[in-house]
Amino acid sequence: MQRILRGSVISMLVTDGKDKTRPGLAESSADAARIARPVGLAVGMAVGLAAAPANATALAPQEENNRRGTAVLELPPGQTARADEKPVGEARRKLQVLAVEDDPTEIELTMLALQRGGFDAVYAAVQTREEFTERLHHADYDVILTGYNLPSWNGMETVEVLREEGLDIPVIVVSGYLGELKAVECIKQGAADYVLKDHLLRLPDAVGRALREKKVREEHRRDHEDLARSNRDLEQFAYVASHDLQEPLRMVAIYTQLLAERYQGKLDENADKYIHYAVDGATRMQVLVKDLLAFSRVGSQGAKFRPTDCAAAVEIALRNLHAAVQESGARVECGPMPAVVADPTQLVQLFQNLIGNALKFRGSEAPVVSITAEQTKQEVIFSVADNGIGIAPEHADLVFAIFKRLHSRTEYPGSGIGLAICKKIVERHGGKIRVESQPGHGCTFRFTLPGEKVGDLRTPR
Amino acid sequence: MHLPVHSARREGGGLTNTAIKTASEILLVDDNPADLDLTHEILNKSGQHLSVNTVGDGAQAIAFLHRTGSYAGKPLPDLIVLDLNLLRAHGRDVLSEFKANPEFARIPVVIFSSSQASSDINRSYDLGANCYVRKPGNLFDFRNVVRSMADFWLGSASLPQKET
Repeated sequence: MQRILRGSVISMLVTDGKDKTRPGLAESSADAARIARPVGLAVGMAVGLAAAPANATALAPQEENNRRGTAVLELPPGQTARADEKPVGEARRKLQVLAVEDDPTEIELTMLALQRGGFDAVYAAVQTREEFTERLHHADYDVILTGYNLPSWNGMETVEVLREEGLDIPVIVVSGYLGELKAVECIKQGAADYVLKDHLLRLPDAVGRALREKKVREEHRRDHEDLARSNRDLEQFAYVASHDLQEPLRMVAIYTQLLAERYQGKLDENADKYIHYAVDGATRMQVLVKDLLAFSRVGSQGAKFRPTDCAAAVEIALRNLHAAVQESGARVECGPMPAVVADPTQLVQLFQNLIGNALKFRGSEAPVVSITAEQTKQEVIFSVADNGIGIAPEHADLVFAIFKRLHSRTEYPGSGIGLAICKKIVERHGGKIRVESQPGHGCTFRFTLPGEKVGDLRTPR
Repeated sequence: MHLPVHSARREGGGLTNTAIKTASEILLVDDNPADLDLTHEILNKSGQHLSVNTVGDGAQAIAFLHRTGSYAGKPLPDLIVLDLNLLRAHGRDVLSEFKANPEFARIPVVIFSSSQASSDINRSYDLGANCYVRKPGNLFDFRNVVRSMADFWLGSASLPQKET
């Protein structure tokens, strides 16, 4: 039985291996190989169940109604599905296997299947958790092949050990028949695949797929890290740029102002005008650079999150806005506020910018600003509503863009950074912000901060 | 008891400086000639009785205090106004060098820098700066700040007395 089994495994792997086509293999043979692959599987199963003869072509009659079956016969001249032949044009892949198995014969069979499947496999065998962990510390393995229930160890615990060690090595369970439930359970626990001992010819494929999946995972991880790094770099750039721009800009501003002071009326009218433009431009740019710096600081210089009393944040924001509230004759109402886990300084800035915005874009009546909070299971929904000039719905997203202004500087001063900072603060906390409005009917800014209830509600004084 | 060599020299220098009751000596250290010019000009118009020396980098500032090379015979300043971002020898290094030397340690150092970074501010005080003033971004404020600096340090404050 073993002799036959080996032979059939080998013959099937010949066709099976070719789907890992390398350049240089004729296209027709690649096609043939791709088509032939499932036959290998089918035959392998037949072998496993019925101890069929070792030659693949001998099984072809069983498949004669199957279009794929004929594909075996379409192998290009010079390539035959012979048992002892290696795949043509196939670069063999090195594979370091860590086998968790106590039966040397099983390991040998497994390794043979891998060899015949196009892998130059070398292995180390372990039987206990201690041996396994020890091995992991001393070498890099491509794949773990483990039995399901060994006398000395439950092979599924390999997954647990790998997790503890922070290693991403695919685990393939190679076992006798387990039944669907247990097989599914293995996958659920984190095994990459499950291969029956009787169907070892499927193993190279399973290993190939597990390695590909790992590669994809690694690429994702790398992409994610790249993205995080590029975000950090961008923030750093904005910070450095705005910081370093301030110094030369200070010179331009001061010396154009000095020029204006000393030579106003001593040159001609045009000169006065040009100096005024230069002073104005430099001053404006100073504001932009300062704001850009503030914006970049939200991400780069933010504090750690800690339980923060939103009522206190509103109180501080209102204290900072005292002059603007007095000047506009505004009435600010605030409902009970929860505590959230947040950056306290940024929370104050968030409320301050939103309330300040409501005061600034007021209509003909005295501003009325209403602040509320609603705690749901996973988040708190805040709203800051006003009776100001409102925003056309088509501009609702624009208002959060950096340096985006909907009005001229003469109508409403400012560089257009306030709401961009709000958005950045909310997003840094994992929340969302949006505005609902109709022109002339005020607007309501709503933002969410994720998190369960931290403390009791409190109404700001 | 150990008496540092420097302090003996200082006493000698102090004698000549205080003998003729002259203007307060101010040393401006800044690698930006525009800031040097403007600060110098505003100080001169401040109404305080003062005399200003300027140097353009950290190494020159150190040479000036040691009165070596072309600075031989220069007076020891009563007040140092020091920028942080200097070429050769950073302002921080110049500051710590001044404060580590018993001959100069007493001389008040006003850090005058455009940096608002809390790390720059705190580090300066840690190293013994007597005051940290941020360079304003417009002429009006710049003038006010330099004037009030002169008024306070040369008018209100009692500076260390040169030993006789």
